[in-house]
Amino acid sequence: MALTADSRDLLSARPPLRRRLTNGVATAIMMAAALTALIALLLVVFYLLKKGAHVITWDFLTSDIPRNVRAPAGGVYPAIIGTLVMTGGAAAMAIPLGILGAIYLNEFGKQRPLARFIRFMADVMTGVPSIVMGLFIYTIWVVRFHSLSGFAGALALGCLMLPIVIRTTEEMLRLVPDELRQASQALGARTWRTTLAVVLPAGLSGIISGAMLALARAAGETAPLVFVAGIVFEPNRTLSGQNTALPVQIFRNASQPFPGAQERAWGAALTLVAIVFAFTLLARLISRRFSTGPR
Amino acid sequence: MRVAQRRLLRLLALLLALSFVAAACGNDNTPSASGDPTTTAADGGTSGVDYSALTGTINGSGSSFADGFYQQVISSMADQAPDLTVNYNPVGSGQGKKDFAAKLNDFAGTDSLVKPEEAPAGSYLYVPTAAAPITVSYNLDGVTELNLSATTLAKIFQGEITTWDDAAIKAENAGAKLPSTKIVIVHRADGSGTTSAFTKYLTKAAGADWKLGAGDTVNWPAGSQAGQKNTGVAQLIKDTKGAIGYVDFADAKATGLSFAKIKNKDGNFAEATLAGASAALAGATAADDLTLDALDAAGADTYPITAVTYILLRPTYDATVGANVKGFVTYVLTDGQSEAASVDYAKLPAALATKALAQLDKVTVG
Repeated sequence: MALTADSRDLLSARPPLRRRLTNGVATAIMMAAALTALIALLLVVFYLLKKGAHVITWDFLTSDIPRNVRAPAGGVYPAIIGTLVMTGGAAAMAIPLGILGAIYLNEFGKQRPLARFIRFMADVMTGVPSIVMGLFIYTIWVVRFHSLSGFAGALALGCLMLPIVIRTTEEMLRLVPDELRQASQALGARTWRTTLAVVLPAGLSGIISGAMLALARAAGETAPLVFVAGIVFEPNRTLSGQNTALPVQIFRNASQPFPGAQERAWGAALTLVAIVFAFTLLARLISRRFSTGPR
Repeated sequence: MRVAQRRLLRLLALLLALSFVAAACGNDNTPSASGDPTTTAADGGTSGVDYSALTGTINGSGSSFADGFYQQVISSMADQAPDLTVNYNPVGSGQGKKDFAAKLNDFAGTDSLVKPEEAPAGSYLYVPTAAAPITVSYNLDGVTELNLSATTLAKIFQGEITTWDDAAIKAENAGAKLPSTKIVIVHRADGSGTTSAFTKYLTKAAGADWKLGAGDTVNWPAGSQAGQKNTGVAQLIKDTKGAIGYVDFADAKATGLSFAKIKNKDGNFAEATLAGASAALAGATAADDLTLDALDAAGADTYPITAVTYILLRPTYDATVGANVKGFVTYVLTDGQSEAASVDYAKLPAALATKALAQLDKVTVG
């Protein structure tokens, strides 16, 4: 009885007042929520630009870190290099490993006990605080080989990135419709060929986004680097020997009472955000260029 | 499917190319591993070191108290030893000694002595490098001069005196207008040689009135605030009304803090100055291992809370690192001494500097 009345309402041009009201209120609340989230982001960017923009000069980006934190000028070039080298090293270790691992989980392991165990451990690893990851590397690598190094930093960051890459990649592979796999196999392709030629390209944009998320998280990590990477004041372009990174320099300078150090901290913060933003843009471009998926 | 495959292959090729570029970039700047015969052959490296022959990187960590001095010396040494890189990380004396025991650094900076549980005797040598006053800095509107005795200091830092207009403080500051602001104690969060020296001073000068003991860390009263490194303490004092804390002289000056005059052994209220620190050094005698205690030393102008800072060296090094470490410490003890005052540290008395240089002969290299 109510059914006929409702279906007539649905067909008519205007829904009843109560529905329109509910719709309006719900939309307004959601928009407000989205705006609030956006405002927080905009405020962060605005404040960063306000405090940091005047610090960023060519000189700031290309000169060495002043040895004395009390110094008024100086730059963060070694920290930019260190960030690139260490997150680059971490990415080189974690991204291939993570993607291969996720392929195993989704295409081969599926619900087997080993796969479920790995999946569970990856979830646990995602929740491990970064400082604990730093301690882990400190214990098994730094203390054993008696050296603080950029490589130890890259290892710690890689350990942080790995579970994120595994989980996001697996989610992306899961989204690839089974019909595609079946079609490929119906044409005679083996599983490896199906995975390489059909599944991976279909999920590529998502996989790259996931890898970039992991990279951005690693690039912003301070805690593990503070005690496994040491410090340098001149650029170290290798993974051997001590190194430094932008977040470490933010930490080091922001905790100082000297105006010069405060300014360097803001400048380093803005530089870091710019680098992460550049990574994200690059990832978008790459994924647009190479993916065959709908996105 | 073909297209997709080709695109994927192209992506893989791109990644491969990128990793080659990264690997290629990663090859310059590697410190040369070859030993340097000219410097290792020098007679213990105590004098006449050819700094320009030193190549490579040495890493030190520890005392944040001495950071200003070491960074200045490292910068000026770079002119004479362009191929030598010295990294000093001011992680605090406590962490520096831990790093030293774990062989994570080539030398450690510390203002407190090594305890047997931190490193076994014989695994390190003390080399005193400089001294400086530890200021008792405060943040109190309208109070530009403050006199404090050791007993009052002890009571303040134990939380027994809680407001600035307490009778004990008033008695020592007849003219000052002291507000009823609550006292906020600021101390070091990390294991610190500055804390060690400050608490040792209170133990020595305030006697039974100081009940918290001495060490790199002590149990401060509840409600006190903790800052990281000397600069963190300085920052907290600067930001907190009614705060009082202990900060090294250079950082207190650079932060623009006001600091108290402390009653010395002769009964005078002495200002924290380099002259006051030098006077304290003159009154102290070094032990055989070259440690010395300049706290609460006698003398009319002596500033009583004067701390000596040391570099810890290993008794043996391999050739390259050893030559570099010896070269660096030699520079600190010779040319570096004349720069101490410019960054607000007191240089060592000449006799002690000579003894410290002789200490380097005990270091075996190669």
